[in-house]
Amino acid sequence: MDGNEVVLSIKDLHKSFRKGDGELVAIEDFNLDIMDGEFVCVLGPSGCGKTTLLRVIAGLEEPTSGKILLKNKEITGPGSDRGMVFQEFGLFPWRTVRKNIEFGLEIRKIPKEERKTISDRYIDLVGLKGFEMSHPDELSGGMKQRVGIARALANDPAILLMDEPFGALDAQTRNLMQKELLRIWSEMKKTVVFITHSVDEAVFVADRVVVMSARPGKIKSIFDVEWERPRDRGGVEFASLRKKILAELERETVSNR
Amino acid sequence: MKSNAFGRLRKLLSRDSERGLMKSAAIVLVSLVAFVLVWWALSSIFPSEYFPSPYKVGVALVDSFQNPDPNTGVTMWQHMSKSLVRFLLGFALAFVIALPLGLLMGFFKIAENFSRPIVEVFRPIPPMAWAPFFFIVAGVFWGPIMPVLLGVFFPVLSNVIFGVKSVDPLFLDVAKTQGADRLTLFKKVILPSAIPYLMTGIRIGLGIGWMCIVAAEMIVAFGGGVGLYISVMSQVGKWDYMFAGMVVIAALGILTVEVSGYVERRVSKWMGMK
Repeated sequence: MDGNEVVLSIKDLHKSFRKGDGELVAIEDFNLDIMDGEFVCVLGPSGCGKTTLLRVIAGLEEPTSGKILLKNKEITGPGSDRGMVFQEFGLFPWRTVRKNIEFGLEIRKIPKEERKTISDRYIDLVGLKGFEMSHPDELSGGMKQRVGIARALANDPAILLMDEPFGALDAQTRNLMQKELLRIWSEMKKTVVFITHSVDEAVFVADRVVVMSARPGKIKSIFDVEWERPRDRGGVEFASLRKKILAELERETVSNR
Repeated sequence: MKSNAFGRLRKLLSRDSERGLMKSAAIVLVSLVAFVLVWWALSSIFPSEYFPSPYKVGVALVDSFQNPDPNTGVTMWQHMSKSLVRFLLGFALAFVIALPLGLLMGFFKIAENFSRPIVEVFRPIPPMAWAPFFFIVAGVFWGPIMPVLLGVFFPVLSNVIFGVKSVDPLFLDVAKTQGADRLTLFKKVILPSAIPYLMTGIRIGLGIGWMCIVAAEMIVAFGGGVGLYISVMSQVGKWDYMFAGMVVIAALGILTVEVSGYVERRVSKWMGMK
């Protein structure tokens, strides 16, 4: 990671929803610059607006005020320049693994041979060789999310947005997928924004952990994690940072009562 | 009810183990034999020309296929083909109109707001209530077809609308982040996810369609039809032949439901949705 070019810039972001007569403030005064190739985790208690943040970046929600710049261009709606990975996978059950991965390429009218070359590459990258013709209901949760990641990467987006991507997986698969994601990330050199509520997960994968406060969602603190990967979950450093972040989160939950 | 029982029967038959298969086949056989026995016993206890024994109905059934019936002048084969042609035409027309209309109404709020009141006015009218009108307006050929069209139309329409509206919002989000515009969303997400609902609409429509064609033919039909046959046989007092006609209707009904079930399974397998 060179870390000197800003890929994504969130400026004074404010997002609120109408709720009955009142209004629910989901995100307030949010400012963040994300560097090229950086792996940023956004961590926060449930209902803190972290998923909303990701959906605004993806263009699925409009900001109430403020703006988000992707490579200096303001985001105005969804687009294939941002690849999104969803917690519940969202694979089309009527499409095979290959056809799911080629969905975005199909939309962009990329010729069939070229689509196949691209999907082959990503099927290989996520370790799904031999499952090209399978349908999603024949895959395990971990394999489904491998398809989800390959599909998001197939469009060669400037940034990968991941919304609790391993939240629906069992603990063992989750740990494996974190390692797999780091392998893919180091091969692809993509910028990643990763939403999670697991401190352990955030410390294991991220270059930077952004801790959000609950309602309204603001940045509470940012932790840099500068150690080499793979990180040792049992190590002293890991434990102490984990403890620090947990304390930060706990104060957040208590002060919110 | 018929299709439910048959579905369970098929399930019983489709069990993997050979022993289980033998056992279920035996149960099916016993059930059918028991039915015929009870029928036979009842017709012996209450002897009546209105209630012929299974044997007499069987003889009449065979005869109806072999020899043209003197009252209508044709064999059961011709009655069957007449009914099937009417049924298929009515079904095809209903499908061709209901599918695009359902997609539009499900997708565009304005299309729904416009069409919903009209649909709701027509839906409660039993298709058969239209029969006299259609015989006058549409003639002897299209007359009996129109009630079938109506009977199939509404279940297909409402299931397609429901299917379009039931599309998983997650799928729409996924497609949008992949760069899909509205037309692409419609073609590549909404349409495929509405297909299972369409199949349900078709299955319900098939059942109603059969009831409509028989009833419509009983009112007026020219040149044959199983409904006409049943009605004529009752008028001339050939009760065993009337029952034979009912057996043919039951068999045709089971056949169509089976065919649609087969198509449904093939489509869902092809789509990867088992």
